Amino acid sequence: MSDTKTPAITCRNVWQVFGPGAETALTDALARSGDDADVAAQELREQGLIPAVQDANFDVQEGELFVIMGLSGSGKSTLIRCISHLLHATGGEIRIDGENIVEASKARLIELRRKKLGMVFQHFGLFPHMTVLDNVAYPLRVQGTKKSDRHAKAREVIELVGLKGREHHYPRELSGGQRQRVGIARSLVADCSVWFLDEPFSALDPLIRRQLQDEFLQIQEKLKTTIVFITHDINEALKLADRIAIMRDGKIVQIGTPAEIVLHPVDDYVREFSKDVAKGQHAHVASVMNTGEAMVYGADDPGLRKDMTLDAALARCMDLYEPVPVHDDSGKVVGVVNPADLAAALQVETP
Amino acid sequence: MIPHLTKGAIAALITLAVGVICLVLQPAVPWIAKWPAAWVLPATDWVGAGLTWLLEGVKPVARAFSAMMYYPMLWANIALTSTPWPLVIGAVAALGWILGGLSMAALGFLGLSFVLASGYWVESMNTLALVAVSVPLALLLGGAIGVLANEHPRIKSGVQAVLDVMQTVPTFAYLTPLLLLFGFGPVVGLIASAIYAAPPMARNVLLGLERVEPEIKEAAVMSGGTRFQQLFQVEIPSASTQIMVGVNQCLMAALSMVIIAAVIGGFDDIGWEVLLTMRKAQFGQALLAGLVVVVFAVVIDRMSATLAQDRRVTYDRRVAWGVLAVGFLVSVLFWSSLPDPAGFETLQPLADGVDRGLTQFTTANGEWLASMKNGFLFYVLLPLRIGLAQAVLPFTWGFAWTGQMSLVLFSASAVLGVIVALRGNVTLGALLGIAAIVLVTGIANLPWLFVLVGTAALGWVSGGRRLAILSVVLLSTILLSGLWERALLSLYLSGAAVFACAVLGGTIGLLSAISPLVWRVVQPICDMLQTIPLFVFLIPVLMVFQIGEFSAFLAIIAYAIVPMIRYTRHGLTETPAEMLEAATASGATEWQILRDVRAPYAAPTILLGLNQTILYAFAMLVIAALIGTTGLGQSIYLALGQADVGLGISAGAAMAILALIADRMVQGFAEERRRALGL
Repeated sequence: MSDTKTPAITCRNVWQVFGPGAETALTDALARSGDDADVAAQELREQGLIPAVQDANFDVQEGELFVIMGLSGSGKSTLIRCISHLLHATGGEIRIDGENIVEASKARLIELRRKKLGMVFQHFGLFPHMTVLDNVAYPLRVQGTKKSDRHAKAREVIELVGLKGREHHYPRELSGGQRQRVGIARSLVADCSVWFLDEPFSALDPLIRRQLQDEFLQIQEKLKTTIVFITHDINEALKLADRIAIMRDGKIVQIGTPAEIVLHPVDDYVREFSKDVAKGQHAHVASVMNTGEAMVYGADDPGLRKDMTLDAALARCMDLYEPVPVHDDSGKVVGVVNPADLAAALQVETP
Repeated sequence: MIPHLTKGAIAALITLAVGVICLVLQPAVPWIAKWPAAWVLPATDWVGAGLTWLLEGVKPVARAFSAMMYYPMLWANIALTSTPWPLVIGAVAALGWILGGLSMAALGFLGLSFVLASGYWVESMNTLALVAVSVPLALLLGGAIGVLANEHPRIKSGVQAVLDVMQTVPTFAYLTPLLLLFGFGPVVGLIASAIYAAPPMARNVLLGLERVEPEIKEAAVMSGGTRFQQLFQVEIPSASTQIMVGVNQCLMAALSMVIIAAVIGGFDDIGWEVLLTMRKAQFGQALLAGLVVVVFAVVIDRMSATLAQDRRVTYDRRVAWGVLAVGFLVSVLFWSSLPDPAGFETLQPLADGVDRGLTQFTTANGEWLASMKNGFLFYVLLPLRIGLAQAVLPFTWGFAWTGQMSLVLFSASAVLGVIVALRGNVTLGALLGIAAIVLVTGIANLPWLFVLVGTAALGWVSGGRRLAILSVVLLSTILLSGLWERALLSLYLSGAAVFACAVLGGTIGLLSAISPLVWRVVQPICDMLQTIPLFVFLIPVLMVFQIGEFSAFLAIIAYAIVPMIRYTRHGLTETPAEMLEAATASGATEWQILRDVRAPYAAPTILLGLNQTILYAFAMLVIAALIGTTGLGQSIYLALGQADVGLGISAGAAMAILALIADRMVQGFAEERRRALGL
């Protein structure tokens, strides 16, 4: 990822503290602790305040699918509400396309939401008194778009999410999966460039969830928007994410690609998450191969490539004991891997 | 062995101790029992002077407003009374069709036909005109208060407190200052009913807005709506079901108040008719007029309740137009030969028949009825009021109460109390002692110090120190203002009625919970009793038992028993299925499930029912002053007649204070139970 472009979203030292006098308490606590977030958070807790998000720092690049994962109560929903400014962050800086929205005026926020931001909710947040069509067209209605125009646009998005023919149903007449499609369509109707999804599939049955995840990836393929996606499901995170941020007790404990999270968890908490994950499907050969000057390998070449998953690679060299070469797309040898290391990387820790 | 004392036990013991001290010291220091008249501040006069001064200041504005309201009232009146009756009936039936199809159309048609046949058409239309003008006022006022409170969380608790007070201050008490402000006439009824009907609307609007799912609100924000757009396009429509509940309650409150306002007279409406015929002891006629009021209440209630249904069916509008057209055609075709609606006397024979039947009934059963009434008065109500020591007379009981008897009763209760306490239940033991004191002295004669300490103790147990202090401070204002004796009298009658409601209503609720058959009979009766405006309850009791405390007692019970029945049944039947299955799987019998699972789970709900019953009893107590009660209700009623603002407001405030304290205490107990159950 290039550093020359402005990231789509930047979070710097974002805090969300709940309780009376949170803002002053945070400033004081930070000043006393010399900007040590952990010490400050502890001090705030002792005062009876709740630091729901402490010192969050990350960038999301344009077009990136950034997943924030954590258990309930870890602060992930609070964080996404800070970024979308449904909550006013207690401290820190949140930039969307370079613009600090923590300090944005009310009018500017409305403007931003109309033109740039879209959001999908866990329990859909559909308006019960409006039909599917009116629900989806609502973001255009508040902008004063003409009825025929906004309905035309809404029909387009409704078709995109596969709900054609249900325009005149009311939310209560739809299944959970269909309701969330309406939610997705509504968030897309105004052509947002930053898309917030707060556990969009958590309230759905496993089968429907998978179907919607796949469709979601297809839509993302088409639209290439910047996405912040919240989930508590590690498999969903690994399946969808470009990068994952893992939260615990209001703190981001690790940010990394799915492979990094699975193979190099920073602590036991993250390891616990990835314990039951089929690592072979998420990690690639490149993450375990040796590179360097002396690439010594045996006579057998099972044709491993560096972007193969561990499962696929292991299937090819199950019966080999010597190190084997790894190729890149052009066929050049870029590394060496010992089949035993492949197997070792897959090992699921025993409790 | 000193058992660990619970909060309740400590409170009961302290109260008992103070009671004993008061009784012992009373002969030596009489002021400990009876608040000396010299210590009473002329607060009532101050309130009167202050308010009169204030009202005089506002008067020009009020009079201007009154003049302004004169026109819409006049128009509504003209519109309703000069419209030919077939058209009015057609319009109501058509409205019924749109709201609820055939059943509502039929209800509207039959209801208004009854009104027509009763001969009270003109009076009814006068009443309806008042309601039609006051309801939009109340809806606007209430809606605005609700929305504002929702927009500004800081004023929310304040607004809620004001709404609480507005609903606990007795209806009659509103009328006196309004009378001063607006002068005699229908405008007072109009304003009073708008003020009285606004709080339920405000409450429901606020509740509805608060209950809109947070994600729906967030979705509106993220759609880029301005606050105005969020509120009017998303939040208010999402809350519409709850708001419609508010509209329904608002309509009913307005109707009820318009009828009550008839006591100030000066307007020829149906409430006045009820009152007039009651005063003239024309009970058949009063019953007829009362039934007209009931019909109105039922029609308005059922029709507006359809608005609050979750899923509304839409009915073909063409049918409604058709019905309206028929009404119009009939009006036009028979224009010159339409009978005068005031001239209908179809139901007159019925009213006369009721009168005759009633006379026969009372002469035939007079002895039995009188002995029942007197028996209850002499052996229950009177001892409760002035205590066994004064109520037991040779004339009624056959012997005179002596000091030795008191002593025997006290010793017996003391012995029993100590035994109970030693077996572990200290609270019950102390309560036995307290009960003996109350029985001998009578509620109206209780030493003020004892009442104050007892209230504080109860407040402390139910709601902590703050409630205890609040109760004592509020009660002290009553004490200082010289309304203490009247307050105790009110407390005695409503207390007795509430107790009867709790026992009777609790039993009926229990039976309804056990047997669906019983509930099928009880439910429509409850629905009916809840729809009937307060006023009408007085007619039947008056017919049988004449004016007096016993009639008032019965009227209060009839009105206040409904919530007790409903909440008891509701609480007992709403136990989660899983808990019942777990109990059944453990091998519990039906009775054991009821006692061990359903009843504890229902306790908070039943307490809320009791709370409602108490508030209802206070409301009715004031109305019952019309048929003879003593105490605050009577003062309020008298103040109205003499336009004595000071007395009216002070007595009204005292009434509200009693209601408020009772409310907070029962709520406190309910809250404690809920917490204990983890709800």
